[in-house]
Amino acid sequence: MGGLQKKKYERGSASNYITRNKARKKLQLSLADFRRLCILKGIYPHEPKHKKKVNKGSTAPRTFYLLKDIRFLLHEPIVRKFREYKVFVRKLRKAYAKAEWTGVQRLKENKPSYKLDHIVKERYPTFIDAIRDVDDTLSMCFLFSTFPRTGKCHVQTIQLCRRLTVEWMNYIIASRSLRKVFLSIKGIYYQAEVLGQPVTWLVPYQFSHNVSAYLSTHNTRAPACLFELKLAALSASLARVISSGQEEEVELDQFPAEGEDAEQLEARQKEQMQLEAQKKVFEGLKFFLNREVPREPLAFVIRCFGGQVSWDKSLCIGGTYDVTDETITHQIVDRPSLDKQYINRYYIQPQWVFDCVNARLLLPVEDYFPGVVLPPHLSPFAEEKDGDYMPPEKLQMLALQRGEMPFKAESEEEEEEEEEEEEEEEEEGSVDEEMDEEEVTEEMNLKQMEQQRAQGKALSVKVTPGKMKMENKMRLEQEEKAEEKRLAIMMMKKKEKYLYDKIMFGKKRKIREANKLAAKRKAHDDNAKVEKKKKKAKKQ
Amino acid sequence: MAAARRVKRVAATQEGFLNLSPALDGSEPYKRRKKVNKNKKKNWLKYSDIQDVEEFLDDVRLQERATGGLVAEKADDSLFFLDTGDKQKDVKPDTGKTRPLKADLILRPDSHIPAPKDVLSHQQPNAKKLRRISQKAEQLAAKGRLPRKQRLLQKRLGAESKKEEKPGHSCPPQKGFYDLWGDTGAPTEEPWYLEQTKKKPVKRPARLNVKPSALPAIEVVSAGASYNPDFESHQALLLQAHVVEVKRQKEEQHIDRQLAVPQEDKATEETVFQEVVEGLMEDEEEEEAESAGEEEGDDAGTSALSAAGEKKTEKQRKKEKLEREKEKQRKAQREQTERRQQLFRLRSIKTELQRGAQLTAERQERRRAQKERQKFQPRRLGRLKFEAPDLEVQLSTEISSCLRRLKPEGSVLKDRFKSFQKRNLIEPRERAKFKRKHKLKYVEKRAFKEIT
Repeated sequence: MGGLQKKKYERGSASNYITRNKARKKLQLSLADFRRLCILKGIYPHEPKHKKKVNKGSTAPRTFYLLKDIRFLLHEPIVRKFREYKVFVRKLRKAYAKAEWTGVQRLKENKPSYKLDHIVKERYPTFIDAIRDVDDTLSMCFLFSTFPRTGKCHVQTIQLCRRLTVEWMNYIIASRSLRKVFLSIKGIYYQAEVLGQPVTWLVPYQFSHNVSAYLSTHNTRAPACLFELKLAALSASLARVISSGQEEEVELDQFPAEGEDAEQLEARQKEQMQLEAQKKVFEGLKFFLNREVPREPLAFVIRCFGGQVSWDKSLCIGGTYDVTDETITHQIVDRPSLDKQYINRYYIQPQWVFDCVNARLLLPVEDYFPGVVLPPHLSPFAEEKDGDYMPPEKLQMLALQRGEMPFKAESEEEEEEEEEEEEEEEEEGSVDEEMDEEEVTEEMNLKQMEQQRAQGKALSVKVTPGKMKMENKMRLEQEEKAEEKRLAIMMMKKKEKYLYDKIMFGKKRKIREANKLAAKRKAHDDNAKVEKKKKKAKKQ
Repeated sequence: MAAARRVKRVAATQEGFLNLSPALDGSEPYKRRKKVNKNKKKNWLKYSDIQDVEEFLDDVRLQERATGGLVAEKADDSLFFLDTGDKQKDVKPDTGKTRPLKADLILRPDSHIPAPKDVLSHQQPNAKKLRRISQKAEQLAAKGRLPRKQRLLQKRLGAESKKEEKPGHSCPPQKGFYDLWGDTGAPTEEPWYLEQTKKKPVKRPARLNVKPSALPAIEVVSAGASYNPDFESHQALLLQAHVVEVKRQKEEQHIDRQLAVPQEDKATEETVFQEVVEGLMEDEEEEEAESAGEEEGDDAGTSALSAAGEKKTEKQRKKEKLEREKEKQRKAQREQTERRQQLFRLRSIKTELQRGAQLTAERQERRRAQKERQKFQPRRLGRLKFEAPDLEVQLSTEISSCLRRLKPEGSVLKDRFKSFQKRNLIEPRERAKFKRKHKLKYVEKRAFKEIT
């Protein structure tokens, strides 16, 4: 015994954490300011492993921060600015209450403000770091820029967001770095590749949301301010990148990188070629947007891939040519019929543009004429592994990408059937029993002979001229490989065998499911077709 | 003013001046005048009798107001008319002029004197001074100097434009490109100096650069949520939503079932009757049994007391000690034999060990997997648990055939907010509820009270 008595909760995890309220009091900030500061500095609440210990025996749910983080916050010069601002607000309120207008004026002139540059620099020491983390920022800015200017949110904030988003879009257009577009029911997802980093952002449709319920809670303002700032810094830097002409054409290095064989190199080169082609998809095309189509996303996407675009002058400024321009190649329309049509241009629905971008080539326009039932808009973000079910539209697109001739709608079904057959064949292949028709016939013959012999009949002996047996080298090789594989499977340890079987089972299941889905689709299509026919018959 | 007064006085002294007021006819009684020195201005004002003049002037003013001039100066035609005795002839005929409205007549000013002009509005006060100032300003302008007022104004305007540049979230366009990451040069001050003056920024701990969740910032919705989805992916998404809904319904039903009153707890006629007669018919047997129980309890209590209080004899103690030792020895012996026996079951021990090692490895693997999984899970960061937002789904009937008719589902704002929560950037929150500080007091108003 002896010595000082050990007190509970004075060391260990209990002393490593601090509750939110305590942290707030330590920093002498209001809750809103504290939240803002935490977001700005990138300090997030932490879930302790042993909550009861940390909470000094209580099990009440609380928000905890690491004490070290809060200590780090104490060094932040902005904290003092926050306090100054608090005092400023108090003084201003007092001056208003006393109707001291000169005092109000003076106070407003000396409103404390702060800069966040050092925080951005601290959090993102290099430019690439900032680009990597720009997704959130972009989405928030795009979101804020669509807010109504009704005073729920500062109008200056909205305007700033709008400016920043436009700058960003201009950068993307200038650098031709847009890769994917996806129109979802929520909003439009874009993906671009900026300085080698994939950047994804979400843009809401115009006039789609009800802001008031959420904004009034001050919930999202704090993040927004940081985001704006970061984007401001980013856009400036990006502008510099463009203006200084750093976007030079990168020559593809012909030397394989480390740990890369010829195949991979070839694949990489092919990918690069495709990308180059994608960048120039709309080059030389001249679009005109009708007034009922969403102007901004379409103009953005078309310009990103080198197309020219214009719209009606009464709709918005920036329309460079009129509908009557004879050189227009495509007019984007989203209404069933048009009064006046020009013969030398295509009238298409807006989905064509987005599908072209995702397919990386100019799709045939026939499926996208106004009034036609559109093919489904597939998500470019969904990546199928081999064996997964692929919708026929995607298969068609892939075929087009491979450079095959587009087939007509009638031949679609045949194609599908063929594919199914192929899949079935693959299944058999996985069982390692491939039989050729010739072999089958030969075996049948042998069997017959044996049966005859068993019945005691004398075989009709005949000498027939011998046939040259052609050895198929490819086939032999394949057989050899299959045999090797079979042996290897046989030689597997029990444990490995178990794992292998499991993997194979999973693969088979996937194929089975895919087949099921395909069958379902076929049934659906057939149904649709029958209905269509019925309708036609009725009409007639 | 004085000149006007003089004119009027002169007019009064002339013959033929008619007084309107009867008091001023010179027939007032004589008063003895007080003797005062008239060599002082003060006394002039105080003791000279100017009442007649005042009255006269009042009369003049009255005449001017009522008739628009002195009656004495008016032409005879305007004052008199020839009375021929014929009423109809005397009255001048109405020559077609429309009479003004009664209301206008009422509003017309009583006085015939025209309203005085605002002289000051046409005059320039200090015209001389102003002229001189302007002359001087011209001279200075010729020399190239602005007047002070202008100079101050210019200064203030300059200051304002400068102030706009100073703070602000972003750089103004006229400033050129401000590149945050541009200057990578070495710091200008010595590090030692910065350290001593506490100007060196604190290094950011590396732990803060790790994101609290491995989820991506923007989770792209599945292919089924396309505005024009293909059949299968849309069905898959619907199924997903369906599963969620079924689960929620099951939970609700579970709670309902838990809260429902069980059938056996419901009152029947029998139970109601029993409750009514409860305590009326006491059983004597029960009482007896109770008393017996009490007695038994007492007995047990006494025996326990006696056992505790008794002392062991020396002999007993020794015996117990011996027994304890023996027991110990037996134990040691058994252990030794067991250890010897272990030599023969080495193989089984080995397998045991192996099994143990395997178990720990498995457990480690499981834990690692769980940790990996938890990187994608929202943590419990506060009072509230994270609640996943509803899946955004459009039913087959709601799907729009073209982009124009698309009805967006869900709110991006909500989605972003939930995403922050999901990625552990902020703790789950709900909107602060309005809390009334003081209780409301209800008062019945009198007017209202009378009616009811």
